[in-house]
This record gives sequence, structure tokens and C-alpha cells, in this order.
Amino acid sequence: MSGWAADLEDLSFQVVPAGLDGGSLPSMAGEVWIDGDVLRFTPRFPFAAGATYAVTVNGETATIERPAPDATPAAEVVAIHPDADEVPLNLLRIYVHFSAPMSEGFAARAVQMCRAGTGEPLQGTFLRQEPELWDAAHRRLTLFLDPARIKRGLVPNLEAGYPLTEGGPVVLRVTTEFRDAFGQPLRAQAERAYQVGAAIRARIDPATWRWAVPRAGTTEPLTLQFDRPLDHAMLGRCLWITDASGARLSGEATVAAGDRGWRFTPHRPWPEGRLQLTVDTTLEDVAGNAVAHVFDRDLTDPAHDPLDTRLLTLEFACN
Amino acid sequence: MAIRSAEHAVGYGLERGTPELRSAGPITFGPDSILFVADSAAARIYAIAIEDASPVSGTRSLDVDRLDERLAAYLGVPADDVDIRGMAVDPATQGVYLSVARGRGAGSIPLILRVEDDGSLQEVSLRDVQYAQTGIDDAPAEDDERTDIRVLRDDEPGGQAYDARGTILQLVRESLRTVTVTDMAYVGGTLVVAGASNEEFTSTLRQIPFPFKGAAHSSSLEIFHVSHGKWETHSPIRTFVAYDDDMSVLASYTCTPIVKFSLRDLQGGDQARGHTVAELGAMNTPLGMVSFRRDGEEYLLVSNSRHELFKLSRKDLEAQESLTTPQAPVGAPRQSLPHHGVGRMASLNGETVLMLQRTPEGHVDLHSYSTASL
Repeated sequence: MSGWAADLEDLSFQVVPAGLDGGSLPSMAGEVWIDGDVLRFTPRFPFAAGATYAVTVNGETATIERPAPDATPAAEVVAIHPDADEVPLNLLRIYVHFSAPMSEGFAARAVQMCRAGTGEPLQGTFLRQEPELWDAAHRRLTLFLDPARIKRGLVPNLEAGYPLTEGGPVVLRVTTEFRDAFGQPLRAQAERAYQVGAAIRARIDPATWRWAVPRAGTTEPLTLQFDRPLDHAMLGRCLWITDASGARLSGEATVAAGDRGWRFTPHRPWPEGRLQLTVDTTLEDVAGNAVAHVFDRDLTDPAHDPLDTRLLTLEFACN
Repeated sequence: MAIRSAEHAVGYGLERGTPELRSAGPITFGPDSILFVADSAAARIYAIAIEDASPVSGTRSLDVDRLDERLAAYLGVPADDVDIRGMAVDPATQGVYLSVARGRGAGSIPLILRVEDDGSLQEVSLRDVQYAQTGIDDAPAEDDERTDIRVLRDDEPGGQAYDARGTILQLVRESLRTVTVTDMAYVGGTLVVAGASNEEFTSTLRQIPFPFKGAAHSSSLEIFHVSHGKWETHSPIRTFVAYDDDMSVLASYTCTPIVKFSLRDLQGGDQARGHTVAELGAMNTPLGMVSFRRDGEEYLLVSNSRHELFKLSRKDLEAQESLTTPQAPVGAPRQSLPHHGVGRMASLNGETVLMLQRTPEGHVDLHSYSTASL
């Protein structure tokens, strides 16, 4: 704006985002000054992309707009876990992996658990979590199904029942209402269908795991098969292999399809002699049961007694 | 008394500088106008000396209609691009502070703001302040090799340079596992922090001594509770408040039971039993808690997502046996108060309770209520 001879004190100046009533609200924080014959305003914070503002000077209003950047939707869902065809009635948690950083604030409206067939969203499935649970890069979202409805003996479990129904297949849907970190919608909707089986209420028992142990001198993978799908994220950090001196073997660890197996391919050939698989007993299954404890432990059942140790070691040898 | 001298600051382990918040979540005051700010994105907690100009004497009252719109106007964004992430009152000055996220996604800016008596807003500058920081540490973080590699944008500081065939990229490794702080309180010289992991479902309550000792030095407490005499479980704590002269803690879980446990439990050992004293009913998330005194008796308020505000008395909580049979309404006698849409609350000078209330139209008001009226 130009042609200002007046003092700043005689000036009435206000910048307000469109849609807000300028009459009763403060002006946008920033500095106003007269520079020669030009009136300048430097906002404290950047104008928001895609937003319109009303600028009122001495009673006259003009509108300015900061255009949204030209961008096409690029973010996609790359994986949904559990990666299993069947989940238990007391499923506790799901992970949605995105190809790019996402914005907070869209999980509640853009992730839905729906009845298979009719597609109707099941209300009150997920725990309302504010703030949302993301990894540091905002590419992995964790959603918990309402634990109050899952835990036995709690009033919500008695009043409203489990979020899922045994024998009632569901579809997890991630819609294009989700916004990435730059405000663009998800490029395409993503879905994952699940059958719902019986509840799982038992500790994870590593003694039941099936092993395929490779030969010494090779770099063939070691594989473990579990009796149930385990938590995909925790599998990434709760299992590791050490040699007889206690040094960790370096290699690639991957979770098998269905989240029911773990595969470790060493960088160097397997040594002969004793090796150990270490299990962090906080490792959970998809229903929140850990190696150390049952999610909702029945105090009258000795099989539910928790394990006291943090780390379990299982010995093996490559021959 | 706000920190005025450098010696005073050193006593708390503070140094002058500019903390670079990546996010601002729950906030709470410690001693001498030191504000604790949880920065979950950076896995850090800051202790910042607030140099507030004007301590207030006498009883304040603060009522701001449509605080969300005032924030949006002040910050220059549409109303739904402002998220209030925390509220705290400085007991020394009665100053009312908010932590706010301006905008979402890559452009989100974390801020601390003060709300003045007339409803006007003032950003609290973090430039050149006395502060200290500590990490939100969580074993087995040090053994967790999983990281996600991300290329930093041109305007983001930090990272490590990587030469990609002639182009230099700034890369940063970011952890997959995070802890998001849901509530904090300064209790008996210790900062008590409740948080939720984005992986395991635990009930770890962290206790960080203040002044902070080095990078991260916290002890963890796992709180179990028993549902109806038969099922023992744990759960992330969503919100909590110390009461009874900091001898007891009332906490709410994400799975709705309200439990109490004693400060002795916080100080001894790594596990504790919380006694369930009430349940809130289905699809109802507890949102905030505050304690206040009136006529020599102490009361606790619990706000929640579906029902009205609940009021419980300390006397009834002490007398309450652990719940053993499922029934609703359950537990310690509670009174429903008519205040609607209550979220966060804070005590203002002991005679007034501040409440953030969501209106049916979707706005957020800030209101004061005298303890006599509650």
C-alpha cells in the first residue's frame, strides 16, 4: 500500500483470516510500520498456504490470498498391520504405514473399521487418542482399538461389548480424507480385510516356536514360525541373535508375511558353536499379550502368571 | 518469584539460550515460575524460566469466549488450524499459559502463549531464555537400531550430510518408536510424566528429578490395576493429579478406570498397584483432572469426553474399597456438575478453577469458576 503520510498512531490496521469476525478479534501478530510512503506489515508467522485474509486499513477492507502450492497428491498407504487374514476378537492395535510424512489430526475421520459386505463403519472402534501416536517421521500411525471394550470385567466391555464380533468379517479403510504433511490428500483409498476369530488370551510362549536352523558356514536365513501373528513393530526390535561371546550378529531381520514368522539373514557366514536367540519379553501379539504377561490376566488362572524376567535366551547351534 | 539472577538459574541447572521446540505438548509449572514443556516430537522435556512481568495480587478471574478464534486471529490461520495442547497456571504470578500447535503437517509451529486478563494473547518468546532440557528416555531405546532415514528440507536445521552422486543431502535418522507425553505434574521435587508408546501397551509413569541430571535420568513405574477382583491389567495413564498435599495421586487410564495410588508407591520400586475407585462407562475418554479445596475439604474434578464433569471428594476416595463387582455407576460417590464440554482444567490461585470448554458450535471457551460454586 502506498501514499501514507499519516502517523502510525492514527492508523487503524487489521489483518484477519477470512471467516473470522474482525470486529471483536485481535489482529494477526506482527509488526506494522511506515516506510517512506509505504505501509508495511511483517507477520510474526507466515501466512498460511491456501488461506485468505481480510486486510482492513482505516475502515477499508481488501482481501489477499496466499495460494496453496501446486502439488498433486503423492502419499499412499504402503502397508497395514496386522498383515494377517484373521485377527482375534480382542485385536488391540493396528499400524498404517505411509509412503511420505503425514499431517496430524486426520486419523479419527480418515481411518475406519467397517463391516465387510455393507461397508458400514463400526462406531467407537478406536480409542480417541490425542495427540495421535506417530513415529518420529510421521510415516507410521498407531491406532488402538478401545481397550476398555476389550478388557474383561470393565464396565465398557459389559455395556458395549468388544469392538469386533467373532465371525463378523471387517474391512479397515484408510480414506483420501487423510492429508499429507503438505496438505495434499492421500492419493488413493486403501483397505485391508480381516476375518475375526476367537480371542487370544495366553502369554506368547517361545518354546512353541518352530525353528529352521541353517548350516554353519552359510548365510542362509534362520527362520522362526510363531503360533499366532505377533506385533509387527515390536518384532523389529525384540528379537536378536548373539554369539558365544555375547556379541550381536549383524544381519537383516524381516517379518514373514502374515506376521507369523521372523527371518534373520546374517551378513557373515554363520559360525559353528553355541548361539543364542534373545527375546525381549515385552514382545506382544496383536491382542496385547506379551511373552511376560497376558493382556488382561486372570488372577485365578496359574497359566496367566507373569514372567519375571525381561530377557529370555534360547540356545541353538548351526551344524 | 520469577528467576531474576543468573545464580538463581544456575541453582536449577538452567543456562541461557534458545530452545528449539519441535512440538509443544502438555505443560506444567515447577518451582519459581519454571515452566516444563513436553516436546514429544523431539523426545525432550524443557524447563524454561518464564520472566513474567507482572505478578497478580488478589483473586483473578478470566473468561474468554471463543478462545479458539482469538488464537486463530492472533496467529493468522483459519480456526481449525489451531490446536491447544496444554494449559498451566504459574502459582507465583497467576499467569495463564497455553501450549499451542499452529498449523499442521510440515508447517506446524509449536508455541507458548500467555492469556491476559482482557483475553488478549501474548506469545512467550523462547529466544535467549534460561532453560534446561532432558530426554524422555525409555529402555530399551539404546538397543533399538530401527530408524527411518529422512531427507531434511532446505529450511530444516541439523542432520548429517550425505553425498548422493554429487548432490549433498542432509539426512536424519528418526526413531520408529516414540513416547507421546499425555500429562505432567511437578510432585514433591520430581517431574512425573505420563506417556503413551506408539508400540507397546504399557503403563509406565516416568519420574524425572529436577534439576535435571544429565541427558536422561528417570525411573519408571509400572502401575497395574485389578478389575473387579479378578483381572489384572495395565494401561497408559492419560491424565493425573496429585492431591492430599502430594501424598496421593488420582489417575485415569485410557481404558477408563480411575485409580488412586500413594506417593510412597512412586518412590519405592518399579511396580505399583493402583486401586480402582471409579469407572467412567463405555466410549468415554477422561480428558483432564484438577484438585481444589473448599471449607477445609479437598475435591477432585474429572472431565471426560462423553459425560458431564464429575466431582469426587478426597474423603470418599480414601474410604473407597477397590472395586470388585462390575456395575455402573461404579465406585466412589460422585457428583455430576452441569458444566458442558469441559476439557483441560487448571487451578487459578486456589479459589478459582479454569476450564476450557467446547461449545456445541465447536468453539473453545475459557471460563473461570469459583470453588464456592463447584
